[in-house]
Amino acid sequence: MKDRKSLTLSGTVSRRTLMLGATAGVAALAMPRVLRAQEKPTLVTSIRSLSNPYHAVWKTGAEAYAKWAGLEHVTLVSEGNSEKGIADIKAMLAKTGGNMVLNSDPNDTPDARPIVEACAKAGAYVVTQWNKPPDLHPKDFNPNYVSHIEFDGISSGKTIAEILFKTIGGKGGIVALGGLISTTAAIERKKGLDAALAANPDIKLLDFQVANWKSTEAFDLMGNLLTRFGDDIKGIWAANDDMGSGALEALRAENLAGKVPIVGVDGIKTAVDAVRTGEFACTVTSDPFWQGGMGLAIGYNAKIGKFDPTKEPPEHREFYGKAVLISHDNVEEYYKTNVDAKPEIDWNDLWGRVTGAIRT
Amino acid sequence: MTQTGSGFLTINTEPLKSVSDIERTTLMTLIPARIAGLFGGRRWRSLAPLAVLIVLCVLIAIANPNFIELRNLVRLANSAAVPLTLAMGLTFIILMGSIDLSVEGTLSVAAMVVVLLAANDSNGNDYGWWGVLAAVIAGTAMGFVSGLVQTMLRIPSFMATLGMWFIGLGLSVYMLGGSAIRLNDATIRDLALTRFLGLPLAVWVATGAFLLATVIQYHTRLGRHILAIGGDEDVAKLSGVNVVRVRITAFALAGFFFGIAGVLAAAQLGQSHAVIGDGRLFAAVTAVVVGGTALTGGEGGVVNTLIGVLIVTVLANGMILLGISPYIQQTVQGLMIIAAVALSLDRVRLRIVK
Repeated sequence: MKDRKSLTLSGTVSRRTLMLGATAGVAALAMPRVLRAQEKPTLVTSIRSLSNPYHAVWKTGAEAYAKWAGLEHVTLVSEGNSEKGIADIKAMLAKTGGNMVLNSDPNDTPDARPIVEACAKAGAYVVTQWNKPPDLHPKDFNPNYVSHIEFDGISSGKTIAEILFKTIGGKGGIVALGGLISTTAAIERKKGLDAALAANPDIKLLDFQVANWKSTEAFDLMGNLLTRFGDDIKGIWAANDDMGSGALEALRAENLAGKVPIVGVDGIKTAVDAVRTGEFACTVTSDPFWQGGMGLAIGYNAKIGKFDPTKEPPEHREFYGKAVLISHDNVEEYYKTNVDAKPEIDWNDLWGRVTGAIRT
Repeated sequence: MTQTGSGFLTINTEPLKSVSDIERTTLMTLIPARIAGLFGGRRWRSLAPLAVLIVLCVLIAIANPNFIELRNLVRLANSAAVPLTLAMGLTFIILMGSIDLSVEGTLSVAAMVVVLLAANDSNGNDYGWWGVLAAVIAGTAMGFVSGLVQTMLRIPSFMATLGMWFIGLGLSVYMLGGSAIRLNDATIRDLALTRFLGLPLAVWVATGAFLLATVIQYHTRLGRHILAIGGDEDVAKLSGVNVVRVRITAFALAGFFFGIAGVLAAAQLGQSHAVIGDGRLFAAVTAVVVGGTALTGGEGGVVNTLIGVLIVTVLANGMILLGISPYIQQTVQGLMIIAAVALSLDRVRLRIVK
């Protein structure tokens, strides 16, 4: 790297300086990794966008950890563009010479492979979350691919459905708002809803509609559903909080807010506020603050040798994280520790939220 | 619609086209044309969108009588409010033969401005309706800049407004810090929650926007000039129309409507986040075109757009009422768009289909 820089800067280069530069460069490259790793690694977060509350919190979690650990932190944003996401990561790998720890929420499932391969090649340590192809495993890229974290969509969808059913007294009609049809999270959360419905024959699913994760679409949809089913709607299941809050505003326009309970997933602030006022029955969150910080913490601890990834059990390499349920019972406490103040997380407790190995 | 009342300013291109065009038409365009001929040709065509709307309403009402319930009609009006206001602005641009892609960007800027200036859960501001005013001004300013970029830098409206779209979106992402911010000002929220004569205030605002747009189109020089530019810009220029000024004014006017729509959207959802405009561009363009305003400009108008917006809204409402699976709703929507355009555009007269 060094020689190339001097080349561009000096303009005219004698053969001697060229040789010297080249030798120095080759020598630098030939230096064992260990030597260069003595410099502190850079923490890198790669996420989809900063325009959604979820990833915005993710970033604050990452920054909180970086501050706690006293390390440099860089956030890369793919803006929903897989090519850009991968190219940015490769550029960071080149810049840091592989001396980095990456915590990535790959934009799309297939992206995880090129990201992991590039990191392994450069000697960087990587943790992926949510998206990876089923045949890509951390153990195949020892030790660089440290872990993959997901949250069990089926269990989230089921948990909120059960709380909704309990809130409406175990019987009656509900409507459900699903996410973008092709996404894994949408499919899994719906599976969870279906499982809960199967166990509660007195609950009737009046209609399942898709609002593509968006509050605006949910707002219009909910108005239409109210026309079709009217007072038969006793509760609303939403695959994420944003859609749930759109449905809530549609209810409010009809003076029904608080009378028809809503449940959602993600734990965005609007939803937490609504749980406080009783307009939402509950929401469940994967805790993006924890995801943003702990993904880096796991990678960093592997990098500095605190633990050896190759010796960790399978459920530390590919695992479901523990989702946090926010309902009427604990919302005040959650509000105090997470909304009014920055959440306090024990960054040394790497495996505290492991709930089990990922289903295959 | 365009022939009546617009006098010498509307450039009727019909005589310019050769008679032999009719020979080039295919069977598919000829048959509806013949049928149309029976009912009086072009006049029938301009009523086609209305006919589509009526047929749609009748069919849905037969399938599910809940459709014509008063409560549902109010809901329909409510969910048409934002798209209608947006489409009013867009109609003028499309009438000129241009396009405004900045709909979502401008809308999110306006929503961002109103939420950040009125009482909210992120900062201490509480400027109330001054925030609304600022939002509408911000929208107008965005449109004004689009117009300047298009005319002064001579950048096609497609690219100029695409740029403004991203600028607006980026601006609101930055200002909102990526999160959703709640609107706590009760009087602004009343736009969505308070009713006057049974209709939410947002519907009255949208109706006002429609009336304003109608007046501008049919009773002002600006409206006539926009139509003239869309019909044939060269002829308009030679007739002494100040094309640059009209274009800039039209874009600013569109921005004004987008600004109002942004305020309404924020009031309805009670919050603003950067993606509040997602999908609105496509819905607005669809409504304008389905209503019978030609993308090539010079034909159609705000009344057509009103019908177009109602068709799109009724369709969305109807599909839920009929219980059409969400997995095929988009397909039905696509079919309806093609059908509506096929009926309302006089394809016999199209010499070239691009």
